[in-house]
Amino acid sequence: MVGFILARTFRAILVLIFTVTLVFIVLRLSGDPAQQMLSDSTSPEALAAFNAKWGLDRSIFEQYLFYVANALRGDFGISFADGREVFTVVSERIPKTFALTVPAFILSLLIGIPAGIIAAMHRESAVDKGVMAGAVLGYSIPNFLLGLVFIFAFAVWLRVLPSSGSSTWRHAILPVATFALYNAAAVARFMRSTLIDVLGQPYIAAARADGVPNIEIILRHALPNAAIPMVTTLGFVAGGLLGGAVLVEPVFAWPGLGTGFVNATSTGDLPVAQAMVLLFTAFMVVINLTVDVLYVVLNPKIRKQ
Amino acid sequence: MSKLLTVRDLVVEVPSRRMKIIDGISFSLEAGQTLGLVGESGCGKSMTCYAVANMLPRGIERTGGSIEFERDPSKSGRAADPTIAMIFQDPTSSLNPVHTIGYYLESALYRNQGLKGNDARLEAMRLLERVGIDRAKSRLRAYPHQFSGGMNQRVMIAHALAAKPQLLIADEPTTALDVTMQAQILHLLEELKAETGMALIIVSHDLGVIARLADHAAVMYCGKVVETAPVADLLQRPAHPYARALIDCMPSIDPADLEPPVPIPGSVPLLDSLPKGCHFHPRCSRATGECTALFPSPSAIGRVHEASCYHPVAA
Ligand SMILES: Nc1ncnc2c1ncn2[C@@H]1O[C@H](COP(=O)(O)OP(=O)(O)OP(=O)(O)O)[C@@H](O)[C@H]1O
Ligand code: SF4
Ligand SMILES: [Mg+2]
Repeated sequence: MVGFILARTFRAILVLIFTVTLVFIVLRLSGDPAQQMLSDSTSPEALAAFNAKWGLDRSIFEQYLFYVANALRGDFGISFADGREVFTVVSERIPKTFALTVPAFILSLLIGIPAGIIAAMHRESAVDKGVMAGAVLGYSIPNFLLGLVFIFAFAVWLRVLPSSGSSTWRHAILPVATFALYNAAAVARFMRSTLIDVLGQPYIAAARADGVPNIEIILRHALPNAAIPMVTTLGFVAGGLLGGAVLVEPVFAWPGLGTGFVNATSTGDLPVAQAMVLLFTAFMVVINLTVDVLYVVLNPKIRKQ
Repeated sequence: MSKLLTVRDLVVEVPSRRMKIIDGISFSLEAGQTLGLVGESGCGKSMTCYAVANMLPRGIERTGGSIEFERDPSKSGRAADPTIAMIFQDPTSSLNPVHTIGYYLESALYRNQGLKGNDARLEAMRLLERVGIDRAKSRLRAYPHQFSGGMNQRVMIAHALAAKPQLLIADEPTTALDVTMQAQILHLLEELKAETGMALIIVSHDLGVIARLADHAAVMYCGKVVETAPVADLLQRPAHPYARALIDCMPSIDPADLEPPVPIPGSVPLLDSLPKGCHFHPRCSRATGECTALFPSPSAIGRVHEASCYHPVAA
């Protein structure tokens, strides 16, 4: 098991190095940085000084090492937009995005998992149909549209909640609700189908025939098995939450990474955009690694080999 | 001897498709006796077992007939019914992959005998040793996927024993196992039967298994019991042409027996398009017009020997 986790960690690091390299290549292919940053009338001496300062006069391989070394130190250069360090610009947005995605993730588990379990336990009953109708509804409305509906209902019409900004916790309610509802629907659907699948396995029928009480069947026999595929699904949900930040945050003018990324790409702030791409990749890599590790921890078939 | 189990006119259906899987079968079993259920795949052997053990799957229901157990007069409610345990054809998929063998046995011992902690562990080890698994202590920490099919079948038997059953239902317990393992498991079942005095229902499509373990056998075809007889009678004097055909297609290992096995012509009809009258008539060489009209009711062939056929094979 330790070997497996080490192998997965090694793979995660490879993915990160690959992404850093890819970003470097795309950046160099997109044009000469000196020409992009400086005006056409810059003197040749100034150009040479600029190239020397950023190492652009070295070989492409040296430049690559230079770039990786800087990236490892968290130095992604200066934002074109406001001249501040990219590191500062990006890192002050991270807590804002977590302030939405972490509560949304927890809420979607707290709502989605029990709803899915109850639906699966009362399969084909009115409860099941109600839960699933709600889930289909929540799942089929696009994130940002749901956000707009919420703004209209609670901010414009009822006037009980603010529609944009991030100054108080009340500002977080609508974006968190938007995120959580959509993802709770996804979690509920997967939880239900996974549990129904497990409940149809021969070992569950055998346990029932043994007279194991229903509550114990669900908690001790079915759920530990359902948890294994669920971990993968929850990894997708967590990744989807971070990706969804790009869609949902701008709707609420929430100053997180999503809004930052949309701004950076639309104004051509390349250093900020590339740092954010790397950051999103790093998040995904960490999520995948967590999923892989949990998958092994929960699954004796892999753990005990 | 007292009847432990009496099944009368049992009907099991798939209500959504109005399809009868078991169509009015009757049999009985005395305490400590062994009943063999035999027949081709799909004839309803497993469903009969599930109905008796009250574990029919979702969407399949018992819609008629009765299943009566001999009740213990000193107890009331469900507790007065005899304890039934069941083992299955595919032991590995009948064991929960996330639980250890120890958890499986110890939780059964707690449920059935109230044993906990160290007492439960010691008893679980004793049961494992009883079914022929050595190094029992370390095996308790193993998971089903670490065991072979034969070992898992032994674990299932140990688990069944934890319930101290008066009736063990073994649904094709050796079908998925290799020949040597089959013989060992059958031997173990024989021993345990003698030791505990439990009754046994053994299901197999292999008449050899039935011949070895059962006292009495019921031959099933398309959801009906077509012949019941003491095992020796059935093997020597099968009355129903289907039973006869089953015996003839059994390969013999006796080198003096030069007759090659004869396969049964045709195939088992589908449940939703059963032939009218005797369901076997399209495959039966003795069939007459009578056979295609009405299902034959059982008639006595000998003492406790019955067959449902208009033209039984003469002894
Ligand atoms: N869920 C179901 N819905 C409809 N028909 C079913 C269902 N499960 C089983 N059947 C049918 O019920 C019949 C009896 O099945 P059963 O499992 O009892 O057969 P069997 O005699 O045990 O066969 P085998 O030797 O293959 O185990 C089969 O024809 C099968 O097609
Ligand atoms: S009743 Fe007729 S068709 Fe059926 S087994 Fe007997 S002889 Fe054959
Ligand atoms: Mg079967």
